[in-house]
Amino acid sequence: MPPTFAAAYSLGVTAPQLFGDDEAAVDFARLLHAEQEFTWARHPEPGETVTSQARVASDVSRRGMRFLSFETDTKDEAGEPLCRSRALFVIRP
Amino acid sequence: MSVESAVRDSALSERSVSFTKEQIAAYAQASGDLNPIHLDDDFARSVGLPGVIAHGMLQMGLAGVVAAEAAGGPDKLTRLYCRFAGMVVPGDTVTFTAEPAGPGKLHLRAVNQKGEAVLTKSSADFKS
Repeated sequence: MPPTFAAAYSLGVTAPQLFGDDEAAVDFARLLHAEQEFTWARHPEPGETVTSQARVASDVSRRGMRFLSFETDTKDEAGEPLCRSRALFVIRP
Repeated sequence: MSVESAVRDSALSERSVSFTKEQIAAYAQASGDLNPIHLDDDFARSVGLPGVIAHGMLQMGLAGVVAAEAAGGPDKLTRLYCRFAGMVVPGDTVTFTAEPAGPGKLHLRAVNQKGEAVLTKSSADFKS
C-alpha cells in the first residue's frame, strides 16, 4: 500500500469533521496544509479495517494567521497502533 | 536493463513530475480532499491564490515514492515528514529527491523548475 494512503485513513476520515464543525470555525477556503508527519508502527494491508481518532493538539493565532495542529491515531482491529499523523494547517487572514 | 541503471546508487532516488489540472483533480477524487482551491480557478483566485494549487498530500505522495525507492520498499518506511514551503501550480515541474542522511534516515527535497524549494526540512526514517 502506498505510504501516503494514510491521507485517506488518517486525514480523510477525521479532517472533514474538524472542518465541518461550526464551533471550530475553520475557513476551508483559506486553509493551507503547512506540515505533515506520519509515523507507522506498520503499514495496513488491503482488506483491513482500521479506526482513526483525531484531536486538535493546538490552536494558536499569530499576526493574523491561525495555526491549527491536528493529530490522528489509527489502530487496527485488535486495537494495536498502526499510524500517528500530525498535521499543521495554517488559516490565512 | 542498462549497466548504468543496474549500478546506480542504491539509496539515492530522484524523479521529476510535471503537474497538471487533470492530475490535481484526480488526486482530489482519490484522496477525498475536494477543497475548491484545488479544483476551481475562479474560486481559488477569489481567495487570493494564483489559481488552483496542488494538494500538499499529492506532493507528499510523490516524495513518498522516492523515499520508498531509496528505503528499499514502501513497507520499510517508519516515518515521513514534509513541510510544504511553496505552492505548486499546474505547469510546474518539480524534482523530488530522497538522499541518504545516516543509517535509516533520508533527506527529502522538492525543487520546482525555477529552482525554488517547495518542500523544505523534509525527511524520512526507514528500517532495514
